[in-house]
Amino acid sequence: MDKVGIPRGLFYYYYGDLWKCFFDKLGVSYIVSPNTNKEIMDRGIKVSNDEMCLSFKVFLGHVDYLKDKCDYILVPRISNFGISNQTCTNFLGAYDIVNNLFDVNVLNYNIDLDKRETLKKGLFKIGRELGKSFLDIKFAYLYAMDKYKEKVKKDIEINMERLNSKNTKILIVSHPYNTYDNLIGMDIVKYLNSQNVDIIYCDKFDDSITSKLSKKISHDLYFKYSKNNLGAAIYSLDKIDGILFISSFPCGPDSLANELLMRKIKKPYVNLIIDGDMSFTGIETRLESFLDVIRRNACV
Amino acid sequence: MRDCYLGVDIGSISTKGVIIDDRNKIISSAYIWTEGNPIEAVRKLINILKKRMPRGYKVKGIGTTGSARKLIGLMLGANSVKNEITAHAVGTMAFHPDVRTILEIGGQDSKIILIKNGIITNYAMNTLCAAGTGAFLSSQAKRLGIDVEDFGEFALKSKNPVKIAARCTVFAESDLVHKAQVGYPKEDIIAGLCKSVVINYLNNVGKGKKIESPIVFQGGVSKNVGVIKYFKEVLGCDVIVDDNGHLMGAIGAAILSRKNKTGEEYELQTKNIKFETKGFECGGCANNCELLRIYKNGKLIDSWGSKCGKY
Repeated sequence: MDKVGIPRGLFYYYYGDLWKCFFDKLGVSYIVSPNTNKEIMDRGIKVSNDEMCLSFKVFLGHVDYLKDKCDYILVPRISNFGISNQTCTNFLGAYDIVNNLFDVNVLNYNIDLDKRETLKKGLFKIGRELGKSFLDIKFAYLYAMDKYKEKVKKDIEINMERLNSKNTKILIVSHPYNTYDNLIGMDIVKYLNSQNVDIIYCDKFDDSITSKLSKKISHDLYFKYSKNNLGAAIYSLDKIDGILFISSFPCGPDSLANELLMRKIKKPYVNLIIDGDMSFTGIETRLESFLDVIRRNACV
Repeated sequence: MRDCYLGVDIGSISTKGVIIDDRNKIISSAYIWTEGNPIEAVRKLINILKKRMPRGYKVKGIGTTGSARKLIGLMLGANSVKNEITAHAVGTMAFHPDVRTILEIGGQDSKIILIKNGIITNYAMNTLCAAGTGAFLSSQAKRLGIDVEDFGEFALKSKNPVKIAARCTVFAESDLVHKAQVGYPKEDIIAGLCKSVVINYLNNVGKGKKIESPIVFQGGVSKNVGVIKYFKEVLGCDVIVDDNGHLMGAIGAAILSRKNKTGEEYELQTKNIKFETKGFECGGCANNCELLRIYKNGKLIDSWGSKCGKY
C-alpha cells in the first residue's frame, strides 16, 4: 500500500494535525519524520542553497530523510490567502524546489485564494490521487476539519487563559516552525519553562482578530503570518511582561515586520536570530538577562 | 575582622577581579588577560588579589559574571552567578545612581543597557557578528603595526578621518587595506576606524533605542580615547568614562554576591584544588552533542551541553 511521508518542518506546524487526521480517516498510511536532530539539519544544509533560511534548510533535511522511506512526500504549495495575505516565498516555492532537488513523487496541493484554490479543493485532490472515492474523501475531510478546528479553538483558549495568569508572562513572536522545532526554538522554550515563565505563543490567536489589529502597526503589511504575529503582540501588549522575538537566519519577512514592531512598542524585548551550529551559551546569557530585566531583579 | 566580597568577570579577552567592602569601596583589584584559559587566568587573578588585599578582611561572598561565569562559579563555589548585563548595570548604578544609558563594548560582544529610576528598562546585545568590537580593533591594530593601547592617541592626531564602511568587519577590512594602499596617512585611517566602531555600534546595537544622558561608556574599548571622542561627537552630548569602567562587571558581581550572601565564609584557596575539563562527543544519537565534563580533584562534578539530559 502507498505510504505518504510528511516532513516535520514548515507546513507541518500549521497543518500537521489536520493531515494526520485526514489520512487516518481515509485509511492512508503515513510516516512523519522525527524531531529535527543534528543529522537532519546537516542533510538539509548539504542539499540547500546558501541563501535559504535555516528553517527551509531544516525542512529540506526532513525531505531528504524521508526520500527512501515512503512512496509519496507531501509538499503543498501555499501562495496566498487572498489579497495582501501572501505567505513567504518558502511556502510558495517549496513544491518546485523539492521537485527539482529530489527524485521523489511529490504529493501536492495548492492554496492560492487569488485563483480560488482552497484547502478543501487541495485535500480532495490528494485524496483522488491516492485512489479514494469521493464519499470517503468527503467524510474524511469533514471529520478532519472538525477535529482541526476543535484543536485550534482549544489552543487559543489555553493561550488566553495563560494571558490572564499572575506569573511572569513572555510573548514569543516567532513562526511556529521555528518555535516548536527541536533544534531552533525548543531549547529556548525549555529554558523559559525551567525558569517558571508563562509562555504566550503568537501563533495561537484568532486570525481574524489579530490580522485586523496589525493595522495599528502598519496598513501595508504584506505577509499573512507577519500580520498574525504583530496582531498577537498588539492584542496582548498590556498583559505581558516582555516579548521574545525568534527568527531563523536570514528570514526576509521577519527582518521587516519584527523590526517595525520593535521600534513601536515600549515593552522590553529581546531579538534572537538563530543560525545552525550555534552554542546555547550566548542565547542563555541573553535570556537570563532578559528575565532579570522584566522581573526587575537588576536594581541596586 | 571586616566583611568583603569577591567579584570576578571572566571575559573572552580579559579577566577582571575586585574585592569590595560593605560600602562598595574597592580594596583590591586586578586585570589580566584570559589567554583562552579561564581556569588558569582565575587562578592567577586570585593570587594577585590576595597579595593586594589588606589584612583584617574575610571574604563573605563570591560572585562571577562574564562568558565563563558558570565554569568559574563552579570552580570557586560562588554564591552568585549572573549574566553580564545585570552585573554591569548593578555595578554602574552603585557609582552613578542617576545613569540612564550604559554603552559597553567588550572583546567579542557589545551591549547597550537603558535604565530608568534605577531599573533596567531595556537592553540589546550584538546578535550575529562581532563587527565593531574590541577583537576587531586589536586585529586591525596588528595589521597597522601599532599597539592597540596607542590606538586612541593616534586617532586624536587626525584632522580628517577617512570614511570606512562600518556595516561589516570583512568590508571594513578591505576598505581599510584599500585606503592604506591609496596612501592615506595612518592617523586618518585609525581615526576612521574608531569612528566606524561608533557608527557600527549605534546602527547595530543601539538602533531604534532612545539614548538619554547621563551616558556611561565602559568595557575594554572605553579605554580608547579616539572612540570616546567620536561617541561624544556623534551623540552630541557628554559621555562619562569611569576610571574603573573596565571593572564594573566584576564590581556588579561582587555586589550581587553580597545581596545573595549566606553568612558562609570563603577561603581564597585555589592551589590545592585540581580543576579539569574534558570535552567529548556523545554519539548516542543523531544529535552528536558536544559535551563538556568538569572534574574537581579527579571527580566528575558536572557535565554540560547535553540536549537530552543523559549526562
